[in-house]
Amino acid sequence: MGKQLQKTIVDILKKTINRQLYYYLDICTRCSICKNACHQYIMTNDLIYLPAYRAELILRIYRKYLTRTGRFISALNRAREIDEQWLDDLYKVTYSCTGCRRCMYYCPFSIDTSWLLALGKAILVAADKYPPIISEISNASIFKGENMEILKEDIIEGLKEYEKELQEKVDDPSATIPVDLKGADILYVSLPGSYSVLTAASIFHQARANWTLSLYEPANFGYFLGDTEKAAVTAKRIIDEAKRLEVKEIVISECGHGYRVMKWLWDTWSKEENPFKIRCILEVMAEYIKEERIRLNRGQIQKALTYHDPCQLARNSGIYEEPRYILRQIATDFRELTPNREKNWCCGGGGGLQAEPELEDFRLKTGEKKVEQIRNSGAKIVVAPCDNCRLQLEDLNKKYNLDISVYSVMELVADATVISKPVFPISNLD
Amino acid sequence: MEEDIKIDLELDLRGLRCPLPMVRVSENITLVPVGGIVRAVTTDVGSLADITSWANTTGNEIVKKERVGKEIVFLIKRRR
Repeated sequence: MGKQLQKTIVDILKKTINRQLYYYLDICTRCSICKNACHQYIMTNDLIYLPAYRAELILRIYRKYLTRTGRFISALNRAREIDEQWLDDLYKVTYSCTGCRRCMYYCPFSIDTSWLLALGKAILVAADKYPPIISEISNASIFKGENMEILKEDIIEGLKEYEKELQEKVDDPSATIPVDLKGADILYVSLPGSYSVLTAASIFHQARANWTLSLYEPANFGYFLGDTEKAAVTAKRIIDEAKRLEVKEIVISECGHGYRVMKWLWDTWSKEENPFKIRCILEVMAEYIKEERIRLNRGQIQKALTYHDPCQLARNSGIYEEPRYILRQIATDFRELTPNREKNWCCGGGGGLQAEPELEDFRLKTGEKKVEQIRNSGAKIVVAPCDNCRLQLEDLNKKYNLDISVYSVMELVADATVISKPVFPISNLD
Repeated sequence: MEEDIKIDLELDLRGLRCPLPMVRVSENITLVPVGGIVRAVTTDVGSLADITSWANTTGNEIVKKERVGKEIVFLIKRRR
């Protein structure tokens, strides 16, 4: 390994390790409580996936290059040099982690291994050592943002098909999927599929909401890559769109990491203040139901139904009750997974793992804790408001013959909404 | 005309959701020689912009893309 790369890595360490990260590195007592918290360690029994070991990799080079004892008597505190083997190990532990932060929840010192691994990713990006597909998706996403004028036609063309379906579903030929609507109350940032666009359009239409659809999606592969500059650029185009359209708030679709990035991370990366209120569509739907802006066929689902808390929405963003409130309206047999909420097991599909073909076997193997939970619940319907989670749950369903159906909350709400036309169609009012 | 173009690899990506159509194209493009053509069929409307953007940023070329009912057909030429 070249001296220049070593120097670059040490510079990143010096620049990034703040008081909080130093505390994490310094305070770990190797109690190994995290071994029972990490689904990846439990299912593989491989030390490299132990959260404390993941952090230890960074600690060793920190000691070597940034402490006096490490520099002169490395053997005393297990300090080590940066070399190719260390980079290989770091790659393996970093890009395999889903960032679920369950280890942090159980750690007596609340060590945020995921934050330490974000530092690991920054090092790997500087060393040009990252999953190529994650980088390709991130670059494609940035290209899309920079060339929206060329690509807009493609997006609008796709929406026209959805609009026809919407009009049939809500039995209203004036129903639209507005784009670029200046002065709308809500900028809705959707995933591209009908399960995200059409369902939301139907719900907004029934609630008579003043909304407009974002041309961008919440998914942020710059975040999975660990390149905060790319991640910030990807997120900023949504903020810029909201400013241009002068909306009141940004509502993010059922996308776990997309919501967390917009709600909690973008300001830190960009050092800019986000002027908009950010809500998840789950919060908006719960509000519409409480305010009776939409009416549901209560008890429409009789099959046993359970809810998977996506790590990025629940443990890492605090959304627990709204989806449960909604689902209890629709389902007569709602069952909790055990454990749930902040203690819920990660499904194993987050952190960009879904997009990495070489991790498929690992992803399915480490999803077995989730399989066990679902089997124990006896549920036949599993609801998860995160696309990465749903893709993983569908894969687990196939591999382990779970015999379940997997849905988003929005799909169930759109399906259970009582379609009612206004007494005087809005289009005739002016 | 599509009929005149020799297809080196067919990818049925119907039913896959974002970002998987892009992932599968990226994963399989190296199975054809440089200059070879991949024909990919998707149903995810997001793939219209996604695969176009992917081709632009990876130096590959979209020779043709068209909607056929609910399906989107791409002809992608491997350029490198």
